[in-house]
Amino acid sequence: MGPLGDLASGFGVALTPENLLWALIGVFLGTAVGVLPGIGPALTVALLLPVTYDLEPISAFIMFAGIYYGGMYGGSTTSILLNTPGESASIVTAIEGNLMAKRGRGAAALATAAIGSFVAGTLGTLALTLVAPVMVKLALRFGAAEYFALIVLAFTTITALLGGSLVRGLISLLVGLTIGLVGVDTLTGQSRFTFGVPQLLDGIDVVTVAVGLFAVGETLWVASRLRHGAEETIPVRGSVWMTREEWKRSWKPWLRGTALGFPIGSLPAGGAEIPTFLSYSIERRLSNHPEEFGKGAIEGVAGPEAANNASAAGVLVPLLTLGLPTSATAAILLVAFQRYGLNPGSQLFQRDPELVWGLIASLYIGNVMLLVLNLPLAGLWVRLLAIPRPMLYAGILVFAGLGTYSQKGSTVDLVILYVLGALGFLMRRFDIPVAPAVIAVILGPVAEEHFRRALQLSQGNYMTFVTRPISGSILLLAALGLIVPIVLRAVQTRRTPPASSA
Amino acid sequence: MEQTPLPSTPEQVSHHSPPPLRDRLAELALAGAVVILGIIVIWETRGIRVTPAYSKVGPRVIPYLVGTGLIVVGLWLAVEVLEGRTATGAGDAEDADPTLPTDWRCVGGLAVALLVYLVLIERAGFVIASALLFFGSAFAMGSRRIIRDAAAGILLAIAVYEIFTRGLGLRLPAGVLTGLL
Repeated sequence: MGPLGDLASGFGVALTPENLLWALIGVFLGTAVGVLPGIGPALTVALLLPVTYDLEPISAFIMFAGIYYGGMYGGSTTSILLNTPGESASIVTAIEGNLMAKRGRGAAALATAAIGSFVAGTLGTLALTLVAPVMVKLALRFGAAEYFALIVLAFTTITALLGGSLVRGLISLLVGLTIGLVGVDTLTGQSRFTFGVPQLLDGIDVVTVAVGLFAVGETLWVASRLRHGAEETIPVRGSVWMTREEWKRSWKPWLRGTALGFPIGSLPAGGAEIPTFLSYSIERRLSNHPEEFGKGAIEGVAGPEAANNASAAGVLVPLLTLGLPTSATAAILLVAFQRYGLNPGSQLFQRDPELVWGLIASLYIGNVMLLVLNLPLAGLWVRLLAIPRPMLYAGILVFAGLGTYSQKGSTVDLVILYVLGALGFLMRRFDIPVAPAVIAVILGPVAEEHFRRALQLSQGNYMTFVTRPISGSILLLAALGLIVPIVLRAVQTRRTPPASSA
Repeated sequence: MEQTPLPSTPEQVSHHSPPPLRDRLAELALAGAVVILGIIVIWETRGIRVTPAYSKVGPRVIPYLVGTGLIVVGLWLAVEVLEGRTATGAGDAEDADPTLPTDWRCVGGLAVALLVYLVLIERAGFVIASALLFFGSAFAMGSRRIIRDAAAGILLAIAVYEIFTRGLGLRLPAGVLTGLL
């Protein structure tokens, strides 16, 4: 059976009335929570995890697919109407989209974002359908050394390419790795860094880390510097639709954004930030209306939004075929899989094809639902933006407590949550990105296991990572990813010395 | 919610004017904390027992690497700060205004609300603890519409409890309201 045959059987699973209902609930909840200011896609998925505890795996994942795409959609609405990007990948959308809204074209900005997301999401999912089986075949040839090298590559690119400062990204990564070390060592059964607390033997859950750093940390940060005065929500007038001219200006950016977003998203480097920024600068260069950029150009919304959603589909390639999450959101999705005792990777495709292809099929369905849901319901989502901030953040804390406590029913987890919340507050204060830490918590232990397995196979010979061709070349790439930005920065500072150096 | 530079300003860490002394000291304290964390990690690693069979690549190798890494990046941050490169605190501000000074009363109020939640969740039950958490944090963040917030907190707590325990099969402590819910 080729990928299309697999996909057809996946649709057979996803199109049952029950699973369609779960997809619809997922899409609706994902959008509603994603719209709320202060909640990005990663937190949306983390906070909604308890909703699926009682479901069959296949229904749970169909719902998660809806939540995942829905959260992305919701985020773009917030950034256009409030100029408050819920996550870094929406920053560009926020710039031009908010300016469009201020000029009275908010409805068109929402429409081009929604339709662009649909186009990119569908094409991206199609690409996922075709690429995933190829990746699975490739992954079968990977050993422990290769997996370790891949994770190192993901670590370096996530920290070096994102964020303004390499050293701050590395601090985040290493703090995440330290948190990941807590608990029983999987290979020898020795407890590490548990400080005698039995509840720490299981390790610190990634969901607690994400909720603590994102939800509690963000709430404390906002509370410490609460913006006073009314929020500027821009009312949307008229129907959410575009003029002929706006269609004409949107479709090429949608396709170009997709072409950038999917491949970059599917690399172990991953992330949606780079393709959205690239798309923005390309659209500015190619536009017939470059003068409109910085004043609300529709291309500046259409392209980056498409790139954002295509990369969300791309991120699923390493997640499903290699078990390698490359964004904070994907890290939470991986936890969801592990909750059901499932390990994404090439084996999952062979052992549980129904589940994997049902999930992929439901991504197509979720995209259609989102489009149908979002064009007419935009007005409803807009009203969510008007929730008074004290109530919004109070609600976030209630759900943070629920999500953490309900995992094991232990107040120790709440204490961990608060400690991580304080850590998240400090990270915000000092411009330390949070995503590398979240990814490191889940990938750190995996990396260590592969590292030690590879060394057992090679009888302790560390050269195994370099001499195996695939592993060696991946590690070379990782080293370049770390060194090149440092060199570039050094060259840059030499050319433009600080205006007032001490 | 991650911080990434805007396309127009590729460097979030500014080095245009020397940052105020207070900020520099705070950043140096951060760098020191990272170094100390690294030392703690290495110290604790020495206490991990190693079975002879795994002595080559046992459970200590990676912790040692991580601890060393923390010390290195801590020192690296200290060097950057001494060169005048500190954080601007201007990440993608959501509802926060990074130019304001820290409002410790507001943060302290939230901390109290969270601690009350921790103490009450198993003693008084999920509903009471959650309603108080909602009301307390809204109050700490400056909301003074007491009746509305109290009503919203109670309704939210009951709705969440009912939906998650009855509809979704989660177990949450009923506390003193056992039998009533």
